[in-house]
Amino acid sequence: MDLDKYKKAWENQPEETRKVSKVDIYKMAHSKSSSIVKWIFIIGILEFVLLNSLYFVVDMEEAYNEYRQLGLYNFMFYSQFVLYPILFYFLIKFYLNYKSISVVDSTKTLMDKIIKTRKTVKYYVLFNLLYVFIFGVIVSIATLKTHPEFNSKQILVSIIVTIVVLIIMVIILWCFYQLLYGILLRKLNKNYKELAKLEDLN
Amino acid sequence: MEKELENKFLDDFEANQNIVHKVCRIYTTNQDAHNDLFQEITIQLWKNYSKFRGDAKFSTWMYRVALNTAISLYRKSTRTIQTQDITEYSFKIKAEDYDDTEELQLKALYSAIRKLNDIDKALIFLYLEDKSYREISDTLGISEVNARVKMNRAKDKLKKVLNP
Repeated sequence: MDLDKYKKAWENQPEETRKVSKVDIYKMAHSKSSSIVKWIFIIGILEFVLLNSLYFVVDMEEAYNEYRQLGLYNFMFYSQFVLYPILFYFLIKFYLNYKSISVVDSTKTLMDKIIKTRKTVKYYVLFNLLYVFIFGVIVSIATLKTHPEFNSKQILVSIIVTIVVLIIMVIILWCFYQLLYGILLRKLNKNYKELAKLEDLN
Repeated sequence: MEKELENKFLDDFEANQNIVHKVCRIYTTNQDAHNDLFQEITIQLWKNYSKFRGDAKFSTWMYRVALNTAISLYRKSTRTIQTQDITEYSFKIKAEDYDDTEELQLKALYSAIRKLNDIDKALIFLYLEDKSYREISDTLGISEVNARVKMNRAKDKLKKVLNP
């Protein structure tokens, strides 16, 4: 079968009957976008803000007193010098990636850049989850040290329970995160795979 | 200056708006979604218009922005109600050049294209619009060889849908 007759029908198709007037084009051009890119930007910023606003919710004075009792004050204090540069690194990278997204690029490049922007936040969240995990383990070890009456079996059980609880917590947060972006980017990921399929073979 | 740019944009857009309508028709299945996508494409075109330099044809540039928006940026808006059937799209042919078979072919073609995936839709659309493989590979960002291979597969899929 030939597609020629269909192509001819396509070429002869009439112009759209519901023409959009200049006034409406003007109004539309100045309305708010609801594109995926915009949502990725908003959600990304929210993630940065939410993950860091925890510091304001928690009573730091009290928290530091507890760290002092556990002998973790120095660790907590100095870890901030590592954490903030990392946060800024991710924020700047996220912003630069976002700015580089351009609908004028080729379809593949555009999708590459959208996925890259999302990945920056993904790594930041992953980094935070890892930090929460390591921090949880350190705190539980320090807590155990303040209970010298525990025998080795009790210590072992506490460590295992802590690790299991932390792993479950991290998995739940990770699933929630995947779901959020999964819904947002399902279509894009599918299209990206479709377009990249052939390139991978070469 | 801004006003001048705006007027130029409105002129260019109005003259070429049929391209955007065609893209909306193949990527959406009802009028609400059509309008929604049309609006998003308009936003993207205007947002990038200042970067558009006259070295390319406005229409060429429009194909790219419209397809990119449909494939990668557009999210079905929640206010869109998916109740209307695709048959609601009517293609009114002027009385003097009325051709029943061509109208039916066009309807069959649209409904077949809508069954393809987003990338195949773009390939078939660019083929129907008589674009060269060079332009197609450039628009999608794949090599010319791959564009040819993909195009042949997309055409085969389309034929299968048209003539099951």
